[in-house]
Formats: sequence, C-alpha cells, structure tokens
Amino acid sequence: MTNSGVRRGATALTLVGLVGMVALLWMSFFWVSTEVNQGIVQRIFYVHVPAAWTCFLAIGISALCSGVYLWLRDDRLDRAAMCAAEGGLVFATIVITTGPLWGKIAWGTYWTWEPRLTLTLLLWFIFVGYFMVRNATEDPEKGKRFAAVVAIVGALDIPFIHLSVIWFRSLHPQPVVAKPDGPTLPGDMLVTLLFGLLVFTVLFFGLFLFRYALEDVRLRAELRARRTA
Amino acid sequence: MIRYLDQIRAIVWKDLLLEIRSRERIAAMGAFAVLAGILFNFSIDTAIVRPQDVAAGLLWMTLVFGGLLGVGRTFHIEEQDNALLGILTSPVPKDAVFLAKVAANFVLLYAISLLVLGVFALFFRVSLDANVGWVILVLALGSLGFVALATLFAAMSAGTSMGETLLPILVFPLLVPMVVFGAGATGRLLGGRPFSEVDGNVRMLGAFAFAAVWIGAVLFRYVVED
Amino acid sequence: MTAPAPAEAPTAGASTGAAVLEARGLVREYGPVLAVDGIDLSLDAGEFLTVFGPNGAGKSSLLGMLAGAMRPTRGEVLVRGTPMSWSDGEWRSRVGIVSHRGFLYGRLTAAENLRFYGRLFGVDDLDHRVTEGLARVRLSERANFQARQLSHGMRQRLSLARALLHDPDVVLLDEPYTGLDPSAAGVLRGVLTELRDGRRTVVMVTHHLKEGLELATRVAIQVAGRFAWEGSTGGIDRGDFERHYHAVVEGGS
Repeated sequence: MTNSGVRRGATALTLVGLVGMVALLWMSFFWVSTEVNQGIVQRIFYVHVPAAWTCFLAIGISALCSGVYLWLRDDRLDRAAMCAAEGGLVFATIVITTGPLWGKIAWGTYWTWEPRLTLTLLLWFIFVGYFMVRNATEDPEKGKRFAAVVAIVGALDIPFIHLSVIWFRSLHPQPVVAKPDGPTLPGDMLVTLLFGLLVFTVLFFGLFLFRYALEDVRLRAELRARRTA
Repeated sequence: MIRYLDQIRAIVWKDLLLEIRSRERIAAMGAFAVLAGILFNFSIDTAIVRPQDVAAGLLWMTLVFGGLLGVGRTFHIEEQDNALLGILTSPVPKDAVFLAKVAANFVLLYAISLLVLGVFALFFRVSLDANVGWVILVLALGSLGFVALATLFAAMSAGTSMGETLLPILVFPLLVPMVVFGAGATGRLLGGRPFSEVDGNVRMLGAFAFAAVWIGAVLFRYVVED
Repeated sequence: MTAPAPAEAPTAGASTGAAVLEARGLVREYGPVLAVDGIDLSLDAGEFLTVFGPNGAGKSSLLGMLAGAMRPTRGEVLVRGTPMSWSDGEWRSRVGIVSHRGFLYGRLTAAENLRFYGRLFGVDDLDHRVTEGLARVRLSERANFQARQLSHGMRQRLSLARALLHDPDVVLLDEPYTGLDPSAAGVLRGVLTELRDGRRTVVMVTHHLKEGLELATRVAIQVAGRFAWEGSTGGIDRGDFERHYHAVVEGGS
C-alpha cells in the first residue's frame, strides 16, 4: 500500500472512530440504564473495558508482526509491530488511569488487584520494556530484533499472567461489591459495551495506520537528509 | 543428536568449571541470600506477623533478586575475550547454546535455592518436616522457569547500552506467574498443608517453566544474532 | 565517497560458479552507518587475500559476514555456489577464525580451551589434535597453564591453535598481528605459511602492510566500505604498494 493509501484509510477509520466515540459517550451517559449496585460510576466501564480489549489486541498484533518480522526481515512489519505497541501503550495508560477512578468510587479504594487491571498494568510494563530495549542499542536493527522478542514473549506470557492473577485473587478476600460480567449484563448495557468495543477497535486501527504512515514519512525524510548530508 | 548433546555438555562443563574456579557468581548469590535473610529478619516486627507466615514470599523474592544477580552475569564471562563470538561462529546450533546456558545457570540457581531454603528454615524457624520433598520440587520448577527467562533477557540486556539495569524491567512483569504459583505452593507446603491442595499450582509452574525454556530456545538465535 | 582508483579485475580464481567463497553485493548497515557498501568477491582454494584499510573501513564487518557470524543487510555469501544461510552449521565447521580478541577463557587451561572448542566443532581424536595443536604454536609446555597466566603473545598463539584445531579449509583472520611480540609474530607467520598448501582459502584483514603483503596472493584496499583497489601481489614492490596504499586511502576518504 502506498503512503497516501494508508493515510486515506487512516483518515476514514479515525473519522468513523471519532464519530463512534461521540455516540458511545452519548450512549453511556444518556442512553444506557444505570447499574443498580455501583450506580453512576459504572458508566466508565464502557470506556474502560474497550480500552483494555484494545491493549490485548495491540500486543497480539505487535507479537504477530514481530514474529513474521524475525522470519522475513521486512522493515514494514517491524514498523507495524512498533506502531501497534505504541497504540497499546496509550490504551493501557487509559485503562490503568480509568481503573482506579472507577475503583475508588465502586470499591472505595484506588487500587485493587482486580485481575484485568493487574494484567493491564503488567502489560503496560511489557510495552515500556519493548520501547526501552528498542532505543537502547547502537545498531537499530538489533533494537528491532530485541523488541520483537519482547513482544512475542510478552504475548505468550499473558495467558500465564492472566491465570495466575485470577488464581491469586481467588485466594484473597476482596473489597468487591460487584464484578460486571459481559454476558450476564442487561440488554442495553451489553449493546453499549459491544458498541464500545467496536468503536475502540476502529479507532485503534485508524490511529495505528496514522502512526504507521507517519513513521513511513519520518524514515523517508531521514533518508533524504542523510543523502544530502 | 549425540553431537548436539555433546555440544551442550561441553558448554555446561565449561560454565561450571569456570564457576568452580572463580566462584564469582556462586559467592555473590550465596552471600546475597544469607544477607537478605538477615535483613528480612530485622524488617519483620514479630509482634505483629509470625516470620513463618511470610517466609515463603521472602524466599521467592530472595531467589528472584539473587538469581538476577547471578544469571545477569552469565554473558559477562563470555565477553571478556569475546568468547561468545567463538561459540556463535562454531557449528553449535543456537538453541543448544541457550539450553546449555540454561542448564548451567539452573545448577547454580538451584543450589542457591536449596541454600536459601536451609537458611530460612534456620532463621525463621520454618518447619521442613512435612513436605520438604515437594518444596524441593517446587523450587526446581521455579528455578528452571526463572533461569530460562532470565538467561534469554540477560543475553538481550548484555547487547544494550543499559546493560543489567534493563534486566529487571524486562523480566519482572513476565515472572508474575512464577511468583504467584511458586510462592503460593511453597507457602502452603511449608505450612504443612497436603500436596493435593497445591497440585494445580505445581502443574502451572511446570507448564510455565517448560514454555519458558521452549520459547527461549526458539528466540535465542534472534537475540545473539549480529 | 567516490573511489578514484578503478578496481582491477580479480586475477586468479575468477568466478567459475564453484568458488570456495563468493560474495555478491555485500552491504552491511548499522542504522545510518554504512560499514560495507557493496563488495563482490570470489575466492578459490589456494588463494590468500589480504584486505588492507584504515580503521573504520568496514573490514571486520566484511569478515564477519564471510564467517557467517553477521547477517548482511543486502547481498549474499555463497559457499561453493550455494547461498549460505545464517544458521549454517556445516559451513561454520569448515571455517576457522582468528581475531585480535582470542575467544579464550582466562580460567581454563590452554589444553582445556582447545578441548572445549574441539568438542563444539565435533573434532575426532581430540586428545591427539590438542597435543598437536599446542605443539604447532609452541605451547606444549604451557598446556596446563590457565590462559590468563599466559602472555599476550602466547594467548594469541593459543588462539591460533584454537582456530585451526578442526582443520578448517577457510581461515579468516581479523587483525592477527595487533599487539604481537616478535616471537608470536614469527609463529603466526610460520603457521600462515603452512596454510598456503593449495587446498585452503585465507582471508586476512589488517593494516600492517608488511605482514599483510608477505603471504598474500591477492590484495584489496578497502576504504569506506568498498574495495577502492584490488589486484594480485605478483611483482608488487612493497615501497610502491605503500605509496599506492596511502594515495588510495587519502583519496578515498
């Protein structure tokens, strides 16, 4: 795909995503009914959960592209992996900031070792590690390979981390009032949640493509600067 | 296959012989383990918590930090005369190099973990009567998983400008399952509970260890590539 | 960047498709740094190529790629006509590498160092080969000394024995003369002369003009990642070559 093609796709997806985001906010503030136990604060759930989902989508894409990159050594795959990881880092930051806001009001504490929140926090650190190794080598190719290994190991470790944090929590009494579970939600909440997942996914891909196109332009500019120097 | 195993044996033999002669890492890790036990002792207010109750957690923390200290240096012995390049330009497959490094580091860390167990039993009056066999098994699986991940990422951090400071940042998030399942199982076993109660933990710990060894063996070649 | 001197056609061993070692358009980048910028090379058995060049000309990178230790950014290395894969163990077992870093373990004895590498290379009749290798570099008496107790020159000699233990038919030498005392240099020269037995291929990179010219059958001057000059040693006068070398290096940088 050409750079302008990528940018057209990025613009379209981002616009759809932003419109969807406005609709999602409207739905979660005005349309969906208030959850009985947790009250108004539970509405943050429609942003929080889709953002968390996006992180896992991001590490998945990043690990997949990284794996194929190590095999084929096509720089575009590395760039895609890097852009996905960057998106993942942003959305993970959203999750670990919205999580405590919700937790403070719903559970009376800013932090609980709620499995999804814990997992996202660890994922956030995996993304941070990804960018640290990437920038800590003299030879950029080496940094790309190292980062690819971090993404792959990170993605494969996630099922283990997930099981372990759930298991850990099951042992310890928690200050939990109610833990929302997807499928048992009342109809309008489920619709809002699913819509949120869709909107975040579309927005993620829009931003992902924008970032990819930007990186492409940046590399070309760098190359040009190097040639003229 | 015989040649593959002989190559692994050659590297393990070399690593252990070097360690026996220099005693650098085993001394550092051993001293760290005992000193950590002493510091932990003074950090616990025994009027509020019984040391036995937190011993399992402290034991695993000692293993993780002490292990990082030793395993993090595993590629230093190779760097002094650029010997790693000598190994990498030999016909030994990269996964064999990784497995050999893991095996040698495992021997070291497992020895240390048994030492830590003994020290903690002594310092914190942890009873080893009931389940010592199972605890030793849990420590073996935990050491193996830890060593596999730490060796892979030690090779990586050795190739960066940040060096060993990068290692904990990369490894700690990935080690959470090992600590959860390992410390959980150790705690219960030391508390005298039956093995059947931690059966699932030990299985997960084993799965984690073997997955870590496998993925490390697959990915190691990309870390040491030049 | 432009190299003024036109590259002469390689004399001996022009590509017959079965060259022992062949490089096609080798390029190696380290991010923005271009270490090797398009090198073609074809070497047959019996040839001894010395690559001269100033520091930073990318000589070690070239050698690394020929050894299969370094992945080319572009281009390929062919071994007897088949492209070498980066994980080619068979190729590695036929290459011996001597570097100014010895690849030795300080706390292993001279004999143990050789035994270790012998096992990695799957050398048969290892005890015999180790004894023979130590004798060849005149270290038999030091067999049970730890490498760290040896002088720099002795370590270099040991490293030479290490590289030749598995009787490689391609020998790659990276600045082997750096820091050598005269006696070690003498041993090195003797061993290198033995290597000119017609069935081996040798590539040496160095900036020591005298030692480099002595045994070479072909010479190249590498400047800024390229062969700025290439030719055979037949009838080359050392003084002329020295002047030529400086002219090429200064013109090329």
